[in-house]
Order: sequence, then structure tokens, then C-alpha cells
Amino acid sequence: MKVPIIQTVCGFGCGTSLMLRMSIEEVAKKHGVEIRAFCGDVGSCCANECDVIFISKELAERIEGRAKVPVITVNNFMNKKEVEEKVIAYFDSLSK
Amino acid sequence: MGIAPENIRIHRKASSWEEAIRVAAKPLIVANSITPAYVTSMIESVRRLGPYIVLMPGFALAHAQPDVRSVRKNDISLAVFDYPVEFHSNKGPVYVVMCLACTDHTSHINRLQGVAEVLLDRERIVDDMRACRDSKELSSLLRR
Repeated sequence: MKVPIIQTVCGFGCGTSLMLRMSIEEVAKKHGVEIRAFCGDVGSCCANECDVIFISKELAERIEGRAKVPVITVNNFMNKKEVEEKVIAYFDSLSK
Repeated sequence: MGIAPENIRIHRKASSWEEAIRVAAKPLIVANSITPAYVTSMIESVRRLGPYIVLMPGFALAHAQPDVRSVRKNDISLAVFDYPVEFHSNKGPVYVVMCLACTDHTSHINRLQGVAEVLLDRERIVDDMRACRDSKELSSLLRR
């Protein structure tokens, strides 16, 4: 399986998206899945190369229709359970 | 690493989310890490993008576009409010506002990472932060 490239998105690519990136990396590590994750901001994320975008629910509508990859919304970045569920669901979708 | 005690204020009050951001950012102004323009940017960001900065119930991370004109050095501050501040987020009101100032996208990562690890790790981190009796205690809480 190709290493998935995950882009985490927030308003400015440096604060909240970093938190989300860290949550995702932790889940990937825990499940032994290799990923590459980076942070983007809501303005330029659609132009960045990646396989999937993880974004907060509040910001998701701003990129609706513009993203060329699947967009997964997270309501609570710091909720490990929610992030884990969504990341696992994404990994599962890759192996189908 | 983490957040310096001088940048932490507890038992604060704010009558609006804008004021809460201003109060939380004050240590950064005092430390000369940011200019007032950055505070305005942080507030503008929420006006423009909505309250997505409320990352979990009770906690908001205020920040704006990294900008060397309004950010003199990477820094983090934190304020704990006695009464809940309404940010109009579906996650509810906020008791803790953290302010993040970056000069660029990547330079801040280590410091923020340490703090983020603690935030992600403790189930009741907001309650724990509110229970701290002084800024030294809170600073230790957020250190890895």
C-alpha cells in the first residue's frame, strides 16, 4: 500500500492543524500504519498534493467543491476517540 | 519549553470573546513578542473563519497568520477565565484561551508540540488547568 499523504487544515497552517496532525500521527503510530502528514491552511490547501484532507467541521464548507481529494471533517481535534475513529475508517477505505 | 509562568494569567475575566483574546494576549505584548496589530489579526481571524479555534470544550487556541511584521518572536501565552466566555462554538463556552504567535509556519513546532502532547494526553486537561492555583503550577502542568 502506498504511503498515504494526509493534509491537516486549519485557518493558518500553524496552530490547530498542527494539533490535528499530531493526533493523526499518534493514531497511525499506534496502529502501525505509515503515513506522511503535513499542515496546510484553508486558503491554499486545495492546491497542495495529498491523498486526503482532514479539516475541522467549521472550515469544511469553505473548501467544499474545491478539493480534489476526499475531505474528512473532524468536529473535535483534541478528541482522540473521534480522530482515531475517522483515521481508522480512512485506512480501512484504502485497503478495499 | 512549554509556556513560561510569566506568560500565564489565571482568574481572569472577560465580557466577550474579543476581550478574552485581548486579555490572553497581554503577556505577549508585555514580552514584546507581538505588536497590537497581531491581537487585531487574531480577533479578525475568528470573525472571518468562525470559532474553529475552540478546539475542545472549554479551550480555544487564538492565532493568526504568521507575520514577521506583527510577530517579533515565537511565543505562547495562556489565560484562564473564572467565568465561561462565549465564542459561539458548538463545543460550548471557553475557560482557557491560549495565544500562539509564530514568525513562520514551521519555526514554532517544537514548543507547540510539547504543549499539544499534554493537551492531547490528559482527559480532563481543561479542568486540571482551571484547578491550578498559580501560574507556576500551570506552567509545570503543561510541561513534558
